[in-house]
Amino acid sequence: MIRCSDLHLTFNRGAPTERLALRGVTLDIPAGEFVTVIGSNGAGKSTLLNALAGDYQPESGAITIDEQDVTAWPSHRRAGLVARVFQDPLAGTCGDMTVEENLALAAGRGNRRGFGLALDAGRRDRFRDTLRDLGLGLENRLGAQMGLLSGGQRQSVSLLMAALQPSRILLLDEHTAALDPKTAAMVMGLTDRIVRDQKLTTLMVTHSMRHALDHGDRTIMLHEGRIVLDIAGDKRKGLTVQDLLDQFARVRNEALDDDKLLLG
Amino acid sequence: MSVIALLGSVEIGLVYALVAFGVYLSFRVLNFPDLTVDGSFPLGAAVAATLITKGVDPFIASFAAVLAGAAAGLVTAVLNLRFGILHLLASILTMTALYTVSLRVMGGPNVPLLMVDTVLTPFQGFGMPDYWMKPILFAVITVLVALLLARYLNSESGLALRATGSNPRMARANGISTDAATYLGMGLSNGLVALAGALFAQANGFADATMGIGTIVIGLAAVIIGETLLPARSVLWMLLACLAGSVMYRLAIGFALNADVLGLTASDLNLMTALLVGLALILPRLKREAASRRAKRTQTARPTAASPTAGDKP
Ligand SMILES: Nc1ncnc2c1ncn2[C@@H]1O[C@H](COP(=O)(O)OP(=O)(O)OP(=O)(O)O)[C@@H](O)[C@H]1O
Ligand SMILES: [Mg+2]
Repeated sequence: MIRCSDLHLTFNRGAPTERLALRGVTLDIPAGEFVTVIGSNGAGKSTLLNALAGDYQPESGAITIDEQDVTAWPSHRRAGLVARVFQDPLAGTCGDMTVEENLALAAGRGNRRGFGLALDAGRRDRFRDTLRDLGLGLENRLGAQMGLLSGGQRQSVSLLMAALQPSRILLLDEHTAALDPKTAAMVMGLTDRIVRDQKLTTLMVTHSMRHALDHGDRTIMLHEGRIVLDIAGDKRKGLTVQDLLDQFARVRNEALDDDKLLLG
Repeated sequence: MSVIALLGSVEIGLVYALVAFGVYLSFRVLNFPDLTVDGSFPLGAAVAATLITKGVDPFIASFAAVLAGAAAGLVTAVLNLRFGILHLLASILTMTALYTVSLRVMGGPNVPLLMVDTVLTPFQGFGMPDYWMKPILFAVITVLVALLLARYLNSESGLALRATGSNPRMARANGISTDAATYLGMGLSNGLVALAGALFAQANGFADATMGIGTIVIGLAAVIIGETLLPARSVLWMLLACLAGSVMYRLAIGFALNADVLGLTASDLNLMTALLVGLALILPRLKREAASRRAKRTQTARPTAASPTAGDKP
């Protein structure tokens, strides 16, 4: 469960480059709900996810995860509750460490890290099994440097890493944007499965209206740091991509520049 | 070069291998360019030598030196993490302050260690001359430290340390306190360097406030020579490469000083080291540039694969 109440967040406060990235975001997501987040560039989607993960501190408002007020927690402390995948495939993994070392890092999320060896036969077996599910042949490359993998492979591993340890919420920031259509579809399928199996409360940012409607239970639209659209249930079921685009246009109060949006 | 001189070079190379491990930890693992080393090396020597002359057991004195070095590393880390001072500048501040600290600890510019027991004493009198015993003992110590360090870097906590240097945002997202990891790594790094200082003082019979000048460059030289000659993937091999790099550096210097035709003296050491490190840093870049020029000439249409990031780290 996630509760944001009246989040305000400003970048470069007082400077000429001041940006009001979040201007009063109030959002209540019940446990297990899968919310897709859309909005134009600079709407504040990444900022919202970063604030939830603890990368940025809001100047006012509160964030509650599973009835715990985490507003003042630094990001590493929230990691026991929050799993995430970044847009950039390079951001979610360490390129100069091996695949198995990256997985071991993720397997320690939320636990105390002691002086025991990070990798043993049991863990390697577990990692191999998890990787086999991907169907990318990575189960034979446990000892390969992460940096040698392709972007799609790295992003798939990032998603596995996010799911390796139990967490309460999953934050996905355009995690398929850098992938080719086929890999993106595979990663989306994996996402659905992980969210369903682990009953994760999920926020997924996407620029694809199709993904926004086809996945999850609820869709919100951000515009200039505010939630301007929030649809779920039957109302959402009947919605087409065109409806969503029309909403988008109405919100922005301007003609729609088609090539700015991926109709995916 | 005589056998004794050769063994002497190996011995110093082995002691400085500990410095190389420390530099590898800060520069490579943590990605924290740390010059504190120039101060923590003489600090380790000063603390150990002073305590030993005061009658403290040499092993306890050496351990105290490690703690003093670790504390120095922590000061640099606090200046950087807590107060946001650029890491290079933070480490220069600590290094400068440590010069005075070492003088104060010793109560003068140097402390001789004559006619006192050192960590080497228990190993004397096995019928082996000192010039053999010292390098063998130091080889055992440095290999042991390398094994322990590699074991640590492959532990859960060690992995957290490596992730902190490699991708701090990812590390935090996986629940690693990057600040805590940096404190730990900086303490460990400078503790090792101080241990090197303590051993150096005991092997050579003195501690001197000026003995730290250029330590960082020597450590870097060892790391770079090791990486260039023995490119390795696993942590243990990287550390052993640093060790080998440190010994090879000393041998190269030893041969250069011994070659009368060159007319070099010990006072030319720092310039030679700087040239050596500079060259090791410049050569790979020149090689890349030459390669990309060749690629351009032969195939103008094809994009060249010159990596813009490869030259970032020293
Ligand atoms: N670290 C930062 N420093 C300064 N300004 C920032 C920073 N991060 C984001 N901003 C600004 O805050 C606003 C919201 O940015 P944000 O990244 O949340 O947008 P977004 O909705 O994720 O956009 P996109 O779809 O392009 O990813 C933008 O105007 C951006 O320029
Ligand atoms: Mg974004």
